Amino acid sequence: MRGLFRWSGKWWPGVIPLLVLWGLAAWSSTAPLENDLAGRSSAALKDAVLDKTNVIVDGRDVTVRAEAFSQSGRSSAVAAVAAVPGVRLVDDETRLAPEAKPFAWSAERDVVRVTLGGNAPLPALKSKLVEAARTALNGTEVADQMALARGAPPHFEEAALLLIGQIGKLKDGKFTISDGDITLSGMARELGGREAIATALKKLPEGFKVAGNEVHAPPYILQAYKDPVAVTMTLSGNVPDDNIHAVIAGTSSRKFFDEKVVDNLKNSIGAPSGFVNAVVPALGALSRLSTGTLLVSDREIKLSGDALYDAAAAQIRATLPKEVPPGWQVKAEISVKPQAGPVDPTVCQQLFTDLLSKGTIRFETGRADIDRDSAGLLDRLVEIAMRCPTANIEVAGHTDAAGEEVANQALSEKRAQAVINFLVQAGLSANRFTAAGFGSTQPLASNDTSDGRAQNRRIEFLVR
Amino acid sequence: MAFLITFHWGWLLGALALGFAMGWVAVVHRAPGVPRLWMWLLSALAALLVAAALTNLIPGRAGYWLELLLVMFVPYLAGCAVGSWLRAWVVFRSMRAKALG
Repeated sequence: MRGLFRWSGKWWPGVIPLLVLWGLAAWSSTAPLENDLAGRSSAALKDAVLDKTNVIVDGRDVTVRAEAFSQSGRSSAVAAVAAVPGVRLVDDETRLAPEAKPFAWSAERDVVRVTLGGNAPLPALKSKLVEAARTALNGTEVADQMALARGAPPHFEEAALLLIGQIGKLKDGKFTISDGDITLSGMARELGGREAIATALKKLPEGFKVAGNEVHAPPYILQAYKDPVAVTMTLSGNVPDDNIHAVIAGTSSRKFFDEKVVDNLKNSIGAPSGFVNAVVPALGALSRLSTGTLLVSDREIKLSGDALYDAAAAQIRATLPKEVPPGWQVKAEISVKPQAGPVDPTVCQQLFTDLLSKGTIRFETGRADIDRDSAGLLDRLVEIAMRCPTANIEVAGHTDAAGEEVANQALSEKRAQAVINFLVQAGLSANRFTAAGFGSTQPLASNDTSDGRAQNRRIEFLVR
Repeated sequence: MAFLITFHWGWLLGALALGFAMGWVAVVHRAPGVPRLWMWLLSALAALLVAAALTNLIPGRAGYWLELLLVMFVPYLAGCAVGSWLRAWVVFRSMRAKALG
């Protein structure tokens, strides 16, 4: 042992090559060691819930920079790195992610993509939202511009997923969450999209409310075109449901007695309120035109075409705006068809007879008030009467045999007079017309059947 | 420590070999030994460096290089001791053989 101590005094010359060896070792091993530690430290942080993670290795000391979402998240991240074999010291430069106030999130759709923006509370939820958007919009590009921040309201995930589920119904627009307030804007892809989104948002989780819904739908359109050459009336566009479809089809076939009604309507939700109450009088106005187009777009009615005579044009312009429900706009561009040339009274008689064989002037049951559905027919009768200004015309009323004969007689006279009043209002001279009532004395068909009775209830025009 | 040994075992083996060679030579070397005062000063320096390494006083790469130096010194000293002891044994045996012969 004493020898060992004595010899050790002579070991120092070897220190010089040892220092050289140390220098070489330090020069060659530092970078690999740091890379090794950086790799394994990053791997240790892989499962940690962190954002903006940055691991810096200096020798065996590791600096961890990251944004964590809780204090325990910070300490567990530091502990995970400290447990990596070879790490000497951990410099904790983690901090809590900033708290967003208000906590805002948005999903914006344009022509080519959906952009998710604002804040997400956790990295896992961020990727979940992106994934949900990809699933909801099969094939559409999803751009993720979300930052991570703390301070999300409770149930944020459910609310955001609900909105992502609805974004497919938008053509373009934006959904925004700001704390508990949800704002919607944009244009729905289809009719009824606005209503469908509003319905879905009734299931919003507790604490969330719709602060503003500015989602618009494409205009709700119904079109009607009266073609005097093809003798058709074509309906196209939307109706809310089968019932209203039947109402519109029924009123069309009565008003357009002479034309073939081509029905291309299809059912679609999203109609403005008062739809049927606006469309029926508008179709009535169209039926009084010689040729014309009706366009009902949301709450706006555009009617254009040619009336058969001046007074009819004026009546349509004046009455249609009053007949539609409040809040509806009417734009009537009515011109007057040039009057046809005068004809002989016998031709007039023929024209009256032809026309009245195609359509019947209708009255309210048991009364002498002319049904509005017959305005188009009456206008046509006025037009014919104008072509033979010298002819005197007897307007004859007939009823069926139901009820008392005295009452039928009075009713037939009143109805004939009501027709004459219409003709006079149209600008024809009252002197040319005489009213005659025949009750049920001149039946055309048997009064035993309902068809026969319908034929017997009539107004006839006789040129004298 | 285990990490340092496994990561640098090649360099440590080199230091051990260097130490063994130095120990082998030291037994028959005629050079003057280190004066006692120097011995004490160097021992104090070594103790200071060990203390600095154990307390992680020196940060970053410098701290790592210090640890590497100290870790390499251990097999060097061990090599020296083994080398000297073996050489002494060999010399002693040959001297005894010569004396008997």
